[in-house]
Amino acid sequence: MSPVFFWLASALMLLFGAAVIMNRNPIASALSLVVSFLGLAALFMSLDAFFIGIIQVLVYAGAVMVLFLFIIMLLDLRAEERRKINLVAFAGGVAVAVIFFGQLCLVIGHLRQAKQSFPALPLNHPDDVRSVGLLLFGNYNLPFQIIAVLILVATIGVIVLSKRELR
Amino acid sequence: MIPTPALEIVVLVWGLVLLLAEAFVDKLDKRVFAIAGIVGLVAVLLGSFFLAPPPPAASTGFWSFYTADPLAIFFKRFALATTIFILIMAIDYAPAIRMGVPGANPQAGLGEFFALPIFTCAGLMWMASAIDFVMIFVSLELVTMSFYVLVTFTRRNPATLEAGVKYLILSALSTGFLVYGITWIFGVTGETNLARIGAVLARQDFDHVPLLFGFALVLVALGFKIAAVPFQIWVPDVYQGAPTPVTAFLSVGSKAAGFVVLLRVLGPFSILPQVGKLLVVIAALTLIYGNFAALPQTNLKRLLAYSSIAHAGYLLIGVVCFAGTAVAFYLVGYLLMTLLCFAVVVLVAADGGEQIEDYSGLVRRSPFLAGAMLVGMVSLAGIPFTAGFLGKFFIFDAAIRQGQTLLVVIGVITVGCGFYYYLKVIRAMFWLPPPNDAPVIQISPLSRGAIGLLIAGIFVFGVYPQPILNALNPPAPVAVTAGR
Repeated sequence: MSPVFFWLASALMLLFGAAVIMNRNPIASALSLVVSFLGLAALFMSLDAFFIGIIQVLVYAGAVMVLFLFIIMLLDLRAEERRKINLVAFAGGVAVAVIFFGQLCLVIGHLRQAKQSFPALPLNHPDDVRSVGLLLFGNYNLPFQIIAVLILVATIGVIVLSKRELR
Repeated sequence: MIPTPALEIVVLVWGLVLLLAEAFVDKLDKRVFAIAGIVGLVAVLLGSFFLAPPPPAASTGFWSFYTADPLAIFFKRFALATTIFILIMAIDYAPAIRMGVPGANPQAGLGEFFALPIFTCAGLMWMASAIDFVMIFVSLELVTMSFYVLVTFTRRNPATLEAGVKYLILSALSTGFLVYGITWIFGVTGETNLARIGAVLARQDFDHVPLLFGFALVLVALGFKIAAVPFQIWVPDVYQGAPTPVTAFLSVGSKAAGFVVLLRVLGPFSILPQVGKLLVVIAALTLIYGNFAALPQTNLKRLLAYSSIAHAGYLLIGVVCFAGTAVAFYLVGYLLMTLLCFAVVVLVAADGGEQIEDYSGLVRRSPFLAGAMLVGMVSLAGIPFTAGFLGKFFIFDAAIRQGQTLLVVIGVITVGCGFYYYLKVIRAMFWLPPPNDAPVIQISPLSRGAIGLLIAGIFVFGVYPQPILNALNPPAPVAVTAGR
């Protein structure tokens, strides 16, 4: 993988990630998030994780974002744009973010892996769809099955909480 | 002999059956499904006493995620017992659900309200067995997801909606911390299994700072679940706004499962010296905040919310001292007395309110409920011959042995505060006159039995704690076979 590609994709991701929270218009935020996800997908691809990269595009940039946009369309956008910034809350939020970022830098400074370069990946590309599938249905079968229950509960919950009139 | 994983599967299948049956049956009184749920869970609880011995832990596959050690089995029974009492409470709460859920049919939503706690119970049981961060995350999310729905269930009530939104947002945030912490721990050790993480840590061959960072993030998420200061901000509003049986479930089931996970996670991490200090600070803050903030409360559910924070503080003392048995015994006492108080709250609120002044003269309206509440409050305060007293006794005993003098001092002072706010409720019930138009409270035989059972439990375990202590440290199996 070329380092240029890495820097490009990371810059894209971070820039548009910042745009998500900077934008006052929710639609612009949501679309920035799509671009940020695409940058992340590009990073996955460059690590030879093609399957995860594709899933990132299909599920997150595709399905989840369409859902977001639908919800945003149901909201009152004007109210969001008229809202004034609460200075105290803003300063507090920035302070927390800065402290957390500083802490993160400190922690990464202590991380051994951060100081050495990773060994190059082997050239023979593994069949990653197959490996992910084998892991999910093999070793990780129990957590995977519990996720099925989780989704069932979530589905019931959505119906119970969102129907205007329950029968 | 039943294999241990079958317990969760039976609970889950029973929940699915009830949910499906409920969708096809229209005419029936929906409370039948709660009774069916209770019967099913009681059967599983009985079945849990006939378990086959577990196979040895494996390095991959099912048994590397799931354990059936005495701690896990103990807390599976704990989750089952909690859910049974919650369902009994939910039957009495049914009229309030009718008011709070929009629907053409007066029984709308009841089936789901009775079925969802069963799924939560399965999640709590999996949490008790989880020995891998992946499994911890997934089962914790199952529990949290079902609580999102349950907390917001009576959504016509604005206070409930507020509680639901607060719980959803803060809980999602805490989940974010959990996942982020797990990724850091995985990044440093290369493992998600707690036993293998312990093996890496024992080799002393890792980066301390990043690992502590990851652990602190996991601790934030678990602190949220067990309502430890400073992650307790959601507790009062959510406890007050949620439907009362759900509040009871949150304060017993969710907290107990959080403590099991905390004990399991601390296992490998306890060799880091900073971890103990961090927990001492959190425990001291939780004790002080919970007890002092409870003093001025006038709403009983809110009072119980602060009391639940305070009890998390006492439990954390036990966690700091790695006194697993003391923590387990305290949680059993906490289950009995908290469920007892909430059961009375459900019955009194049916034709009264949840303010402490609504309990004025309760002894004239229902001597049984006033007596039950008296026992609950006395045990929460920690008066001798109740389970609450012995629980605190074991915790303080462990703390003195470990030389945690500061925590014991804070603990004893805050117990004094507890007397004030718990006895305030007793004063209202026994010394203040009832309002003139207050009706006599009707109690169904089922609730009467459940409340009687809880009262009996408080006194039995208050003088004879051996069954619980033995459940966690089983006597040598040789003695059992020799007896036959």
